[in-house]
Amino acid sequence: MTREQKRKIENIAALSLSSLAAAFGLFWLVFILGDVLVHGIGALTPELFLNDPAPPGIEGGGLRHAFLGQIMITFFATLIGVPVGVLGGTYLAEYARGTKLARVIGILADIMVSVPSIVIGTFIYALLVRPLGHFSGWAGSVALAVIMIPVVLRTTEDMLSLVPWTLREAAFALGAPHYKVIVQVVYRGAATGILTGVLLSIARVAGETAPLLFTSFNNNFFSTDMNGPMASLTVAVFQYAMGPFEEWHAQAWAASLIITLFILTVTIAGRAIVRWRYKS
Amino acid sequence: MTQEPEIETKDLSFYYAGNVHALKRINVDIGKNLVTAFIGPSGCGKTTLLRCFNRMHDLYPSNRYEGQIIFQGRNILESNLDLIRLRSSIGMVFQKPTPFPMTIHDNIAYGLKLKGLRKKAELSDRVEKALTDSALWGEVKDKLHESAYALSGGQQQRLCIARALAVEPEVLLFDEPTSALDPISTGKIEELISQLKDRVSIIIVTHNMQQAARVSDMTAFLYLGEIIEYGPTKKIFTNPDNKQTDDYITGRFG
Repeated sequence: MTREQKRKIENIAALSLSSLAAAFGLFWLVFILGDVLVHGIGALTPELFLNDPAPPGIEGGGLRHAFLGQIMITFFATLIGVPVGVLGGTYLAEYARGTKLARVIGILADIMVSVPSIVIGTFIYALLVRPLGHFSGWAGSVALAVIMIPVVLRTTEDMLSLVPWTLREAAFALGAPHYKVIVQVVYRGAATGILTGVLLSIARVAGETAPLLFTSFNNNFFSTDMNGPMASLTVAVFQYAMGPFEEWHAQAWAASLIITLFILTVTIAGRAIVRWRYKS
Repeated sequence: MTQEPEIETKDLSFYYAGNVHALKRINVDIGKNLVTAFIGPSGCGKTTLLRCFNRMHDLYPSNRYEGQIIFQGRNILESNLDLIRLRSSIGMVFQKPTPFPMTIHDNIAYGLKLKGLRKKAELSDRVEKALTDSALWGEVKDKLHESAYALSGGQQQRLCIARALAVEPEVLLFDEPTSALDPISTGKIEELISQLKDRVSIIIVTHNMQQAARVSDMTAFLYLGEIIEYGPTKKIFTNPDNKQTDDYITGRFG
């Protein structure tokens, strides 16, 4: 065999193996998404959004309580997590740039990103549920916020670091104090990047179940009380999928589809913003 | 020099973090309403010297000044000096255009707002005046509320000059303002610099010796952190006293 022939065979082998691996991964992805779509779409009825759960055996129950709970928990998680993350990232990029402290915090944030979310759930359980003696929507929001913070912090830091240093110097040279340089000039330059990071972090926590199991727990009734246990879509999926009733299973599929579509939309929006930004 | 100088340095030394001795006992008088050029090979300290005048080095830790810089009767190296006031009296234009990510109007108005100007009508007047003074008004008057990034590189640089002019500084520092621009834009900026000296004192760092010869009244030649020769531009370029200066301007080294 000549060297060329050998190279050709090696090339074909590598190409087929990698294509096969890619196809294998894609197959399961399409399979999962397709399965959720097929099973979920049939159970998407107006009642699903408008009604609260009905006793087993009675028609027309819905997941209104879980939709509302999910929205409230995620909303307040964003409200807590985003300011902390953005301000933390600002500190690292603007005030502590290049210091040892910034590196340590950066590494810790990276570790936090990869901590299993159930660990964060138990942590918040020990912090906010046990001492107060009851589950609560707030505990759920805080747990999700804790997951969001390192993601937002790191993206903010990265995006601020991309803003050319000369832009800051130009603002300083006009006599701007540091906080005005950051708020009025640097944030503007990094705004779309930070927004993308925020959207991706919302997508990241919207699908979490484990941290909510220990914190907001679940509620079979419609509730807007953040101080009490609260339903969420992900926990509802968990409960209904394990349950014995056909309607429950159908509703779990529908809820899964809604969560998937929501995360997909937010993720695509995040990427679209990046693409739009780099075009203009 | 018959007039009192705008800026006067007395034995100015500067050290970057790690005790890098970048400027060595600089004594130079910057004349009022003159264009002063700093020339010299890369790393000679000309930009470092320029950035002393608005204390830009303070943005980075462990930089250290020694000696004095006298401006308006005061040593501006004093640690209790109000840097915000200093920087609104001594403006700066950078090597690369640095428009802010906002509209043309807001770019110019930025420094004015920092100074506390709030009235819309007054802001627009000052913006128009600054743009007129920097010979940009005709080109941008119909797109004041568009992004400054839509302008060409040369226009962006004139926008930065307008932004610095708007706050009516006494001194303008130019750090190689045309090194990123094409010859036509360069010509416009040089013309602008010559016009502006009636109102501000100008210090310009340049790599381009023809540029220094064209725009400046006084020239300082720096080498290895020292001023080798300082005098009227005409003399420096035609009949320098120092052999090193002669070698540099004739292109034998540097």
